[in-house]
Amino acid sequence: MSRPFRLTIDQVLFEKLYRHLFPGDRDEHGAVIAAGIGETDRGPRLLAREVFLARDGIDYVPGKLGYRALSAEFVAHVASYCAEQNLSYLAVHCHGGTDSVEFSDVDFQSHERGYPALVDITKGGPVGALVFAERAVAGDIWTMRGRHAFERLTVVGPSVQTLFPSPPLEPQFSNSIYDRQARLFGDVGQHILSRLKVGIIGLGGGGSLLSEWLSRLGIGHIVAVDFDQVDVTNLSRVIDASRWDAKAWLAQRRNPWLQKIGRRFARLKVDVARRVAKRANPRIQYDAIDGDVLEESTARLLTDVDFLFLASDSIQSRLVFNSIVHQYLIPGAQIGAKVSVGENGRIEQVSVATRPVLPFPGGGCLQCHELIPAARLQMESLSDSERRAQRYVDDEEIVDPSVITLNVLSAGQAANDLMMMFTGLYQPMVQLSHQIGFVRERTRSDVESRSREVCLDCGNGPSSRRARGDRVRLPCRMPS
Amino acid sequence: MTSEVEKAIAEIRHAFAGRMVEAEDEPQGGAYVIVDGVSIGAAYAPSVTWFGFLISFQYPHADVYPHFIDPQVKRVDGGSLASGFSGPTDWRGRPVIQVSRRSNRWDPTVDTAVAKLLKVIEWVKEQ
Repeated sequence: MSRPFRLTIDQVLFEKLYRHLFPGDRDEHGAVIAAGIGETDRGPRLLAREVFLARDGIDYVPGKLGYRALSAEFVAHVASYCAEQNLSYLAVHCHGGTDSVEFSDVDFQSHERGYPALVDITKGGPVGALVFAERAVAGDIWTMRGRHAFERLTVVGPSVQTLFPSPPLEPQFSNSIYDRQARLFGDVGQHILSRLKVGIIGLGGGGSLLSEWLSRLGIGHIVAVDFDQVDVTNLSRVIDASRWDAKAWLAQRRNPWLQKIGRRFARLKVDVARRVAKRANPRIQYDAIDGDVLEESTARLLTDVDFLFLASDSIQSRLVFNSIVHQYLIPGAQIGAKVSVGENGRIEQVSVATRPVLPFPGGGCLQCHELIPAARLQMESLSDSERRAQRYVDDEEIVDPSVITLNVLSAGQAANDLMMMFTGLYQPMVQLSHQIGFVRERTRSDVESRSREVCLDCGNGPSSRRARGDRVRLPCRMPS
Repeated sequence: MTSEVEKAIAEIRHAFAGRMVEAEDEPQGGAYVIVDGVSIGAAYAPSVTWFGFLISFQYPHADVYPHFIDPQVKRVDGGSLASGFSGPTDWRGRPVIQVSRRSNRWDPTVDTAVAKLLKVIEWVKEQ
């Protein structure tokens, strides 16, 4: 039995669809969602990329068998668009009701007549249908292998909502460990957190904080990615890292050979983070990945998370993060601290950044905010010897400042964003804008949202990767 | 190499039809490219050189720079090369002059490796 399908849609598209389906006339309306797809261990995820609204009386007309149906011309037009764009076709209509919904027999008969052919037209689909009530959605999905169940719809915005065909059973979830925090978001909120799968790229100063806090919060599954090992210079800020982890008694010897052995046997940062997480929550599923997100096989482990944190300084990782967020409709946040040092080593500016990135235009795309400098990508793709030859490295001994208390400022806001988004506690008017804290001035400011229609990540143009899932390549190294 | 890098090389071959364009795989999915027989104007001797550069695996998001030219290139008037030139240095085991023209406003939806090469050639001619 195949795993049921899930659908993810961003809040902007969802609101467009919802206003069309429920304008207040209590009548039936129709539309089509064009969606990408991502195959994952938790089952296939359909990813809504575009919504085509069917005009009442023109595209959505009285049916021969049912009450209403999409016109043949409308279906042909959108289906050929989906085939051309390699997207899935999902017909949508609404029924009355509030918290539960199901297809009628006439609906199912119509799917059986039409969808096998539509699967062929759209090069294998999937194709299918969704029926909405005000707070519920049911689905019937078809592929070359036949008919598949539909589990739920997730709407990604400043609040992440989930809609099911009927209300799920109230969780019998009560754990005294979480008593105090559950008084904020309830047992239901705690249950939601326990079902989340969260990715963290970079388990250094910022990422190790996130990892511990999320574990204590009761997140059920963490996928932590870092290829780096603990070094004695990390002990001031990587949570729980010890001199033993860093093999300090070898790494700090003068003998280069002993130093090398110390570095070789130092513990991986992801293993330290897993140790901390397991202590905080022995039931957590913790995938400690010794890998680089620039490798496609590693990046793909993050394409099924519910939220993704980027806590790495590399601009190449930033590009991959931004791509995963938009390509797989996964909300995320980039965190970091920056200390600008002027001539003569004088400290100029100390800033901390928390940058939520939601997968729609204006959602905080790092490309649109010019936070992925093209020149840095080029420089980081060079080998160390190429960088030296091209004089990008003036002095290898110069290392950027990094301080745990600064990391706390950016990581704390990002972890809080995740908690508030998934437990639905943010006020409706909240905009998750990028926030920059200026530590020396003790001020904090929001960055005005930016978006470019032609952006290759968040844009709506034909070349953008948004919601295309597995059907476009991530900007990773080619497998050798 | 990635499909985006392959496309960039095809555009370069098209723009420099009749001249030798060599492209060698870079292990991460990019390509090392050399375009031979490029005229850089009478202010230089030799006045025709090759241009070499790396197209990164993260192209078109990544800029294409620096470019490298024949280390023999000198100004005919005996003057020193402009400030964007440096070297001789080493590129892939051969001595080269580095031409550093970084695009601070690189836009992956518009900028291409071939357009960048043409701009760099034009810049060299203007010095």
